[in-house]
Amino acid sequence: MILKFTKPIVLSIALLLFTGQLMAQPRLPEGYFWKKLPNGLEVVVIENSKVPLATIEIAVKNGAYTEGPEFSGLSHLFEHMFFKANKDYPDQEKFLKRTQELGAIWNGTTDVERVNYFFTFDRDSLKAGLKFMNAAIRFPIYREEDMKKERPVVDGEFQRGESDPGFQLWYGVQQKLWGDLVTRKVAIGIHEVINTATPEKMMVIKNKYYFPNNSLVTICGDVKHDEAFALAESIFGDWASSGFNPIEKYPIPPFKPLDKSQYFVKETSIAETPYMQLSWQGPSYLTDSASVVTADVFSTIVGLNASKLQQALVDKGLASSVSLGYTTCKYVGPIDIFVVPNPNKLKECYDELNKQIAMFADDDYFTDEQLKDAKAILLRNDTFNKEKPSTLPSQMSYQWCSTSLNFYTDLIDNYQKVSRADIQKYLKTYVVGKPMVAGIVIKPELSKQYNVASFFAAK
Amino acid sequence: MKKYVFSLLIAASVANINQAFAQKEAYETTVDGVKVIVQPSGNSIVEIQAIIKGGVQNYSADKMGIEALAMSALTECGTANHDKNSFKNQLDKVSATVFGYTNKNFAVLRMNCIKGDFDTVWPLFSEALTQPKFDGKEFTRIQQDAINNLKANESQPDVAIDKYADKIAFANRDYAKDPEGTVEILQKLTPEQTKAYYEGILTRSRMLIVVVADMDRATLESKLKVLLDGIKQGPAFDFKKSFFRVYKNTFSSENKDLATNYVEGITSGPEAGTPDFDAFQVAMRIFAQRHFLEVRTNNGLSYAPQSWFSSGATSVAKFSVSTTQPDKYIAVFDKLVDQVKTDGFKADEVADMKVTYLTGFYYKNETNNAQASSIASNEVVYGDWKRSLTLVGDVKKLTTEEVSDAFRKYIGNIIWVYQGDPKKVNPLLYTNGTLHKADNPVNN
Repeated sequence: MILKFTKPIVLSIALLLFTGQLMAQPRLPEGYFWKKLPNGLEVVVIENSKVPLATIEIAVKNGAYTEGPEFSGLSHLFEHMFFKANKDYPDQEKFLKRTQELGAIWNGTTDVERVNYFFTFDRDSLKAGLKFMNAAIRFPIYREEDMKKERPVVDGEFQRGESDPGFQLWYGVQQKLWGDLVTRKVAIGIHEVINTATPEKMMVIKNKYYFPNNSLVTICGDVKHDEAFALAESIFGDWASSGFNPIEKYPIPPFKPLDKSQYFVKETSIAETPYMQLSWQGPSYLTDSASVVTADVFSTIVGLNASKLQQALVDKGLASSVSLGYTTCKYVGPIDIFVVPNPNKLKECYDELNKQIAMFADDDYFTDEQLKDAKAILLRNDTFNKEKPSTLPSQMSYQWCSTSLNFYTDLIDNYQKVSRADIQKYLKTYVVGKPMVAGIVIKPELSKQYNVASFFAAK
Repeated sequence: MKKYVFSLLIAASVANINQAFAQKEAYETTVDGVKVIVQPSGNSIVEIQAIIKGGVQNYSADKMGIEALAMSALTECGTANHDKNSFKNQLDKVSATVFGYTNKNFAVLRMNCIKGDFDTVWPLFSEALTQPKFDGKEFTRIQQDAINNLKANESQPDVAIDKYADKIAFANRDYAKDPEGTVEILQKLTPEQTKAYYEGILTRSRMLIVVVADMDRATLESKLKVLLDGIKQGPAFDFKKSFFRVYKNTFSSENKDLATNYVEGITSGPEAGTPDFDAFQVAMRIFAQRHFLEVRTNNGLSYAPQSWFSSGATSVAKFSVSTTQPDKYIAVFDKLVDQVKTDGFKADEVADMKVTYLTGFYYKNETNNAQASSIASNEVVYGDWKRSLTLVGDVKKLTTEEVSDAFRKYIGNIIWVYQGDPKKVNPLLYTNGTLHKADNPVNN
């Protein structure tokens, strides 16, 4: 689904525009409108008048997956610097002051395959808000002194993570699951890289990824699409295309499959109660989009109270909770099982979990009724997910970055088409009998008491 | 499933009570003596909350955790007509939520479903509230889960520091009680005790019902009548408010093997319903912006500097950071407070905050659940659910002087707590102040 910029240059601009619009118009939910500007910037307007607000978001195909070791964590630092200084608001005090004048609620996030920035304010401030975003995304100012102050802030975010045993477990799993390419999957990065980042490195990121043809602007709220498109075009229309697709020019190296299962016990005094995580390399949207759909259906089945997994672990008191999930990625998404085990029954919990996993692909692992219930849940969840207008841009842009707008729009319908055979294929391809990474985070004394290392290991 | 996405800001602590958004006009009625507040939603989602007032006022310190366990048992330990599994399986089929929880001010049993599933979910909600079984086997299971959840929360440094701060600051007050309890207390609770406790607090005199949904009024009232007919009236209940003031700076610390250090301070705030309340709320929101600017932007001392007004039966101001340089933080903090006390807030800061309130008014209430929670909080804590609709207008009337004066009046001595490496911090800077001037915000 990577966009290709290979149209013959002899095409007139008008024809190119016409062709592009006609052929590339994606399917979208009702009330969603799409336009691609001549510079390649995609704009989606979501008309939703539930409250008299407007939310604007810009999403960029950037994040951990674009980072080799020397840039690990810098997409995230870049995201922080977006809010620092630009040509219109030359320091963060002025930047913040402007957000206060607009009464804006705002934030930014950095994930594996997306960086996004979003602002919500009164609908009448739409033009001012778009201009504000334009200045920040196109004309940032990187000063050494600002970076010196922001580096410990970003590193502080990392340290907060490291103070949480759940993060420590997740982080340990990532190291083993992705091996040499772990920096492509962990957006928080490497302390040393963050703490030595320079304005020059920020410019490298900007000049690789921050172009209209690698970005999506979404305007959602009590707005009219024609007016919103006109505003977006007048403000972002002169943002020059890079002329290249960054993800093609700077390709993502292939992730090496795990060759064997790996286990670790992370002992720390701050783990008041233990957690377990088991992870596999799952499907990529690029090569197996069908399994991306199927994964959600199976995750929903095993989340049902009636499922064999919940009954074996939670109902029987071996765990307080167990959840399975797949994270949608264009390039190899992880499948994770996260368990809060009963600390008095660690071995029983772990053994039962493995027993369940071994049965996942069996013909009778779930009933037809459970499959039907899971699909009904996914259908209803679409209504719940669309309740809060200010979250709609972010839900859509995640898919724009990692899958496509068509995939996003068709997803609910496609869930309904998933069969038992599809699920078994997904599980046999990625989970059952496949190498995994298993980690547990636990207090040293509890680990010793139950000799966890003796059973939390390869059989 | 834990997923780690890294964001510019940690979610702001919105401890202050939110405002509600009125799509169509909300109304109030009374069924069997219980106040029922209905906010039409304009969407296909139904949110109903049955509130039992009191929270930490309902139990003694040696029974803390019992209300949380009781509320959890309502949906996890079976009902008169359903065992736990058939109850939960029915909810799963329609992707509906029915669950109970409690906080320091009140307990809630909430239901949330698609309107077309109402007839499936309502009987389950009704049974859970009025006919819970407290099955012994299931109770043993949720008792262990409650212990695990308590420990999991204590592993979250932000939660742990806030609990620690409450424990120190509110010693010998109701607010020192942790609704989650302790391992020792939870282990001793029996299903019989917990059931008896629940039956004691389930009275119409303590109840409030909040509905955010598009429902026919007559149908709703007849269903509520059947529900409430099965609940005894009980003695009149008075929700007690308690003013909090700190008379001496203190610093308490715990050694924890964390990658950074966590600091939290608690000081006074106006009681809900008093004239300073709205002005102080605005003052703390503006202070939060200054705190962010100075601590994070200008000094790079913390990713997560926060300050907020935590309102409830006991209303207090709170400040928190995670930082590797706690001594530098307190110097910046003292200077900030001193600056506000000396010069007050600026007119444009107050004007801007009024705009932000308007955005927040709608933003925080885009969901039926948030609207219902806002109405419930305002009714329980202030005795005035309509405040959720009038707050923006009330805030508009505030003057800069009123906002500055409210800050000056309540921000004084502070109870500081610290978790992390004790070698990194000098407690004297927290108790003696760092400015050493007559109007030092830290009153020595």
